[in-house]
Amino acid sequence: MHAYLGAIWNCRFFWLSLVKMDLRSRYRGSMLGIFWSLLHPIAMTAILCVVFSCAFGQDLRSYAPFVFTGLTFWGFFGATLVQGCLCFFQGESYIRQHPAPMAIYPLRTVLGAAFHFSVGLGLAIVIGLLAGPDLDRNPSATRLHQLLALPSLLPTCLLLLLFGWSLSILTGLLNVRFRDTRYLVEIGLQGLFYLTPVMYRIDAFKDKHRLTLLLQCNPLVPFLDLIREPILLGRIPSVTTYALATAVVLLLGATAAAALWIEERRLIFHL
Amino acid sequence: MARIELEHVNLTFRVRRERRIGLKDFLIKRLFLQSQNPIMEVRALQDINLRLNQGDRLAIIGHNGAGKSTMLKLLAGIYQPSSGRRLVEGRVSSLFDLALGFEIEANGWENIAYRSYLQGETPASVRAKKQAIAEFSELGDFLNMPVRYYSSGMMVRLAFSIATAIEPEILLVDEVLSVGDLAFQSKARERMRDMMAKAHLLVVVSHDLDSLPHICNQAIWMDHGRIRMMGLCAEVIAAYRSSVGQGQAAAA
Repeated sequence: MHAYLGAIWNCRFFWLSLVKMDLRSRYRGSMLGIFWSLLHPIAMTAILCVVFSCAFGQDLRSYAPFVFTGLTFWGFFGATLVQGCLCFFQGESYIRQHPAPMAIYPLRTVLGAAFHFSVGLGLAIVIGLLAGPDLDRNPSATRLHQLLALPSLLPTCLLLLLFGWSLSILTGLLNVRFRDTRYLVEIGLQGLFYLTPVMYRIDAFKDKHRLTLLLQCNPLVPFLDLIREPILLGRIPSVTTYALATAVVLLLGATAAAALWIEERRLIFHL
Repeated sequence: MARIELEHVNLTFRVRRERRIGLKDFLIKRLFLQSQNPIMEVRALQDINLRLNQGDRLAIIGHNGAGKSTMLKLLAGIYQPSSGRRLVEGRVSSLFDLALGFEIEANGWENIAYRSYLQGETPASVRAKKQAIAEFSELGDFLNMPVRYYSSGMMVRLAFSIATAIEPEILLVDEVLSVGDLAFQSKARERMRDMMAKAHLLVVVSHDLDSLPHICNQAIWMDHGRIRMMGLCAEVIAAYRSSVGQGQAAAA
């Protein structure tokens, strides 16, 4: 394990330069490029705001930052899953030439996605501060509370990075064995979107206890809470929330490490 | 000290007879149906024992499909043995599949950096070598263009220039000498000879039986994934030649 991480570190210049190249080819060196990557969550937020404010009478001031943070997280989650499927094919020509640790290829994918996520998160913080804290849910909060709670996002980002890395490793390995994984993942992702409180709040189903319980079992919920509480409510998430998210990351990370342990040596025969 | 040791190394590929299966097929067939698509085993390397030390120059000869290139990839660490022990000590550089491993959207300079990093260089050492690599490749202004627009000859030229810019302890070569046009080829040969002379340990796969004895002192003759003969280069080549000759005579 230690030696493996060391090997990943030793070829850091390689994967870092590939990540840099991925980002540059996507943005072509312009600010407009970064705007393009934000366009999707912004447009979706606008649409959902119109729909939810007209149809369900949502208060836009608290709803817009809520849904934007959700979509930013979802963009990261989806990218690590779907693009993760292709990570080993993307690196195939290197794999065939040089014995580097396999984990660097999913890492390339997840670091690219993490960059987009951090840009989105930056905008989410701006939106959150402009709108002010959600006083319905945390009446005593002020903008100062929001600012003070922001550093709590740092451990969250670290957890998300490990979470995304593990996911990319798993879908990447699965897709090498079974080429249709990507399509199934895309379908599953669409279904999961509606089971995750991205565009609605769990407390909208207060009177349906079973549904609420089901939604709360979703392992993505702690991550969403970790992102939303400091930005929207101006408070540092509870230790329980961190612990839940950490547990999910550990579980997934252990699974990914085990899968990599088994597949590392024979992956190339299936490419 | 460069050192290679293989002990009872086996390498078995498992392939499906028909085609790859998808996750849907996998789940459905596992649950409901017998597999219509059995797994076949290809024993690419069988019971290979090899011990090479500093200063050894080994030639690998044999028919197509005898396992020569597989052996080289196993030595490079790209394939791992299915069973047995593989020990390689020393910085390995491999010259095979040269046209692979380019980011086609990035330009030549960037690709020089990526490949060098993969070979274990650092930004500082790449900066020092970049110019020499560019000069050797003779690609000039093309290096500012995305590799997408390169001809295959240009790609191989660039790859060769990068791969041979380091001083390896162990050099693995797979008949790569068809590099670029005629002028570049003779230059490439010269650099190869230079590198082979400098390398502490050399393994070459080639069909060029005439030039091998000049480069190598030992040889193995591979046949159907096994080492059929191992010994001094000239003797093994002579035995291989006479066996091929007999085969042709029998056929005629």
